[in-house]
Amino acid sequence: MIKRLLIANRGEIVTRIIRTCKEMGIATVAVYSEADREAPYLDMVDEAVHIGPSNPLHSYLSIDALIDAARKSGADAVHPGYGFLSERAIFAQAVVSAGLVWVGPPPEVMRSISSKCYCRHLADSVGVPFIPGTLDPVNDPQDVVAYGREHGYPLFLKLDKGGGGKGIEMVPSEDQVEQIFQRTCSIGNMAFGSGACYIEKVIDRPRHIEIQFVADNYGNCVLLGERECSIQRRHQKIIEEAPSVVVTEQDRELLFDYSRRLVRRMNYHGAGTLEGLRSADGRHHFMEVNARLQVEHGVSELLTGIDIVKCQLEIASGEPLRFRQEDIGLRGHAIEARIYAEDPETFLPSPGRINGLQLPETGRDLRVDHALEHNCSVPPYYDPLLAKVISWGEDRTRARERLISGLEQFVIDGVKSTISANLRILRHPNFASGDFSTAFMNECFNNMGSHFGKEGPR
Amino acid sequence: MEKSVNAIIPGLCARVVVNEGDKVSAGQEVAVINCMKTEISVTSEWNGTVKSVLSKEWDELEVGTPMVMLAVTGTDT
Repeated sequence: MIKRLLIANRGEIVTRIIRTCKEMGIATVAVYSEADREAPYLDMVDEAVHIGPSNPLHSYLSIDALIDAARKSGADAVHPGYGFLSERAIFAQAVVSAGLVWVGPPPEVMRSISSKCYCRHLADSVGVPFIPGTLDPVNDPQDVVAYGREHGYPLFLKLDKGGGGKGIEMVPSEDQVEQIFQRTCSIGNMAFGSGACYIEKVIDRPRHIEIQFVADNYGNCVLLGERECSIQRRHQKIIEEAPSVVVTEQDRELLFDYSRRLVRRMNYHGAGTLEGLRSADGRHHFMEVNARLQVEHGVSELLTGIDIVKCQLEIASGEPLRFRQEDIGLRGHAIEARIYAEDPETFLPSPGRINGLQLPETGRDLRVDHALEHNCSVPPYYDPLLAKVISWGEDRTRARERLISGLEQFVIDGVKSTISANLRILRHPNFASGDFSTAFMNECFNNMGSHFGKEGPR
Repeated sequence: MEKSVNAIIPGLCARVVVNEGDKVSAGQEVAVINCMKTEISVTSEWNGTVKSVLSKEWDELEVGTPMVMLAVTGTDT
């Protein structure tokens, strides 16, 4: 079993991972940049290692600094959290090459699935439906023109190696193909080291449905239900819930069948997520694999009672899963609201210092994951996520009411936060009735947050 | 007269979109700041020519950090 775990991340996810490590008797090592010198979790770990300046390129994104910190602190394993280097096969490989345990899928699996076209071939080979389009990258703008003439516009040009909302370009008509094709290739070459892009059809008013799975090294794969994450702004999730109001028991069986086929074929070990879109006619289209712990994993934890971080650590240590699919019940309903350090009207970022903080009362039905304390700083260099409030209820109505009550008690002063935006969403009649798609924010809040700036990188 | 176009929000320099010698007009975007993963446009208040580019991708920025130096030929406000 892992004895001393280095957590190669920052913010609330560090606190989350520490909690499970303490329960399992695993010692913890945190890392921090200059800007995170006063992070509250640094007092909760067995060792804290300074890894560099505020600039993430030289701290949380520096493979050398992180491997060095692991060596110096005597850690025997590395948990990457989410974001930063969590899905970079080259980091996973560096961890393994340093003789440490990587808490995640094997590096070679990560390398393969980082290609969206690989994932499309994978789905095709096991008979799982994926978003229509080309299986392989297109080499020439003329290929796009030919596709458009046959299937119509608009269509998406997507970077094979893109991610985080970057490298998705909508092509509205034939006369713009050339220009958008060149721009997409150029973005890809600069940001992802590959300009290869492929075509996807646009799914009208889709709902974002994803499946959480855990798979051990012995062929056991258990599915922890779906999550619906359709409430997004700028391709970033704000509210997530499980189960989805539109997924029937029959749909779920089908999604589980698809998921098992994909996970087996990938030879994936660890926790992961299969993201997909559900079109208005109820059909599911597999989209991509997220080879890491998701921000919204807590929703599935409240529904199943399974600690996903514990599963990750046990699987990485070579242990078999302690439960089977038939042991998993999806009990009640869970909803998560992400609180960002942003203006609740415009979603403009709001870094600074928190000078007033009141957390809601937590318990069995309300969980708050955060790394906040009075007078803590909110640096401008990293993700704006401040906290996640997750509620559980016997049914969706009660889960929603508890989340609203939890958010009403939550006070953050000194920086702007999206607490009031979350409340407006949760109280909206379309959210309450479950009648929404990924277009919800645009349709119900008059293009909230889309009238400024550009796409964020995630 | 020389004027510097400064960071309007803290964060990391995403990119400077002008080069030395480029003509810029008031209201034109000259740089982009990544603040908490949101890209914020930095525009010039003046008409002028780019004398020097002071920021590069990934540089840490405070409010007021000079990003681009302009030789100003006129103002619009």
